[in-house]
Amino acid sequence: MTRDQWRRVRDIFERALESEPPDIDAWLYRQAGDDAAVRAEAASLLRHRTGTGSFLLQPVTERVSNLLAEERALQPGQIVGPYSIVRELGRGGMGRVYLATDTRLGRTVALKALPPLLVKDQSQRERLRREARAAAALTHPGICTVYALEEFDGELYIAAEFVDGQTLREEMVGRRRPAPGDVLQTARELAAALASAHAKGITHRDLKPENVMRARDGRLKILDFGLARVEESGAGSLAVSGPGAPSVEALPRAHPTEPGMLAGTPAYMAPEQLNGQPVNARADVFEFGVLVYEYAVGTHPFDAPTPLGVAARVLESHAHPIERPDLPPQVVDVLERCLRKAPADRFASAVDLVHALARDEATPRRAGGTPWWRAHQLATMALYFVASALAWQVKEWQPGTAGVVFLTIGVAASIGGVFRGHLLFAERVAGSGAVAFSAERRRATPATLVVDLLIALALVIDGMILSSARPLAAVLTLALAAGIGLARLLVEPSTTRIMFGEAEPTRR
Amino acid sequence: MKDPEAARPAADEAAVAVYDELRRLAAAYMRRERPGQTLQATALVHEAYLRLAGAGSPWADEKHFIGIAARSMRQILVERARARNAQKRWAGLNRVSLTESLVAAANEDAMLPALDEALTRLEQLDPEQARIVELRYFVGLGVEETAEALGLSPATLKRRWALARAWLFRELAAGGGTTDGRGEQHRGFR
Repeated sequence: MTRDQWRRVRDIFERALESEPPDIDAWLYRQAGDDAAVRAEAASLLRHRTGTGSFLLQPVTERVSNLLAEERALQPGQIVGPYSIVRELGRGGMGRVYLATDTRLGRTVALKALPPLLVKDQSQRERLRREARAAAALTHPGICTVYALEEFDGELYIAAEFVDGQTLREEMVGRRRPAPGDVLQTARELAAALASAHAKGITHRDLKPENVMRARDGRLKILDFGLARVEESGAGSLAVSGPGAPSVEALPRAHPTEPGMLAGTPAYMAPEQLNGQPVNARADVFEFGVLVYEYAVGTHPFDAPTPLGVAARVLESHAHPIERPDLPPQVVDVLERCLRKAPADRFASAVDLVHALARDEATPRRAGGTPWWRAHQLATMALYFVASALAWQVKEWQPGTAGVVFLTIGVAASIGGVFRGHLLFAERVAGSGAVAFSAERRRATPATLVVDLLIALALVIDGMILSSARPLAAVLTLALAAGIGLARLLVEPSTTRIMFGEAEPTRR
Repeated sequence: MKDPEAARPAADEAAVAVYDELRRLAAAYMRRERPGQTLQATALVHEAYLRLAGAGSPWADEKHFIGIAARSMRQILVERARARNAQKRWAGLNRVSLTESLVAAANEDAMLPALDEALTRLEQLDPEQARIVELRYFVGLGVEETAEALGLSPATLKRRWALARAWLFRELAAGGGTTDGRGEQHRGFR
């Protein structure tokens, strides 16, 4: 659009406001029949004008005047109440954090200031008060202890335990993938700390590698229960957050975080958080899953080129499969359950997580069981061959019914052999932990069951046919029938369990 | 994100002086202010004028001064909003873009960067439109004062103000929360 065209649009717009023509399309055509672009633009603007409502009518400074407040940083040596500032530790969305000395007790603290920029913002004040209240109720070695909420010169500060160390994010950046034992240990420590909060009805809602510190002694501490919400169970409580219960989130402005804003960090948010639905401890479980996955694998489970892509994957797609066969299967299973879309499919809280991770089962998935499982498959295929050969011999001795029996065994053995051969091949190619292989097993299980029992039954019939003429061969045939039947019903479930940690592939 | 220093009209020393004075005054004002009170930007601009007028003022008259001051107010507010949003952002993801309606969002400060970019596009088409928005929205001048400052009749000013609001509303409502300055231009021009 050229400036000349724009001038015409402007004039037409103004004339339309003056004359308010009843048939706007015909009127526009009379104004600018020669220029479709001008006509379309004027029509579009007139249309949008009706929806502007109070847009821009109230001057911005009357609405967000706190934007004009100057931000001040505390300097080393400065005294705030009983605290002497040592240095600034960092800045975050919630404000600046300083290393300070509490001169009354002589101890070192982390002093977190509500940014002066936002000091007039009542909702921020309220949020900080809630953070202090929620976190002060928590005394667990895995959670950063809050000492006090202070107010000096109208500004709010939180004094908390100073954790000397680095965040999990820093740790992840500077090293290779952690060993399987480290992953399990980290998951257990985090789950235990989180469980102590969940047991008190307090959720974190912003778990991420930046919010977990590894202290110098190697222990983990969760920081910033900044968005924590106390789940009050009393009647008439403000924050009802059970599944399905109406949440304060549904009510704009009543929500303790900023109205219209999402609380938490998008990359670590559970699907229901992204959707603005009620959240509870199960959202923490999801964030725990993302965090531990990223710690173990090095990449985000819903990794995508753009942040919005990540959010879309969290909402729509499955997590990338965990490409670490050396991880203990319990960790893989736990993470897989943490990352489910539906909150009801996850662990109810970190308390359940602790139990799931407590089983001492550090053996990798593929160790031990696989050769037994393979041997079983091969042995069964050999039995198919023997059964077929035997049925052929029976048919030669006693033509008639035995011919039908041979045909049945031959077909069944071929099908069974194909399925078992396919499973062996798929296991070799995909690996026993792969999702694709689980699907193959699920498909093959009923087929092999039917085939094996059919062959066993057919051999029993052959045995009965032979019983009078050749008793010895009959016994041998019946023994083979029993062997095949029992192998399928007794031996196969146990080799499967050894290999996959489950009796039948029904769960995955 | 744009460099706020670069956005400042460094070439125009008068504008820099106004900008700095307004910043200083606003900060002082905010320190005195009681919670819940709102800032009258018109009073702020007037005070800045009185303070700067004596020092061999390079502007022609108060009308000219108000234009410069309005521009500065826009810059100051947009910069602050950007800095504030940046803290809430994760790797460039603007949270606002996740919410349903940008325009309906109560957090107006989060809208400011997008509004500023749309306004810059409108300015290329029609500088007067941008001036109107700066005076009415960023300083809070009334219809009469704005009309006087721009040398328009109040009736014309009202209609052009309606045009600017319609144009910006369309940009923000359709363009979504893009704050990278590459929002879809001239939507609806076919």
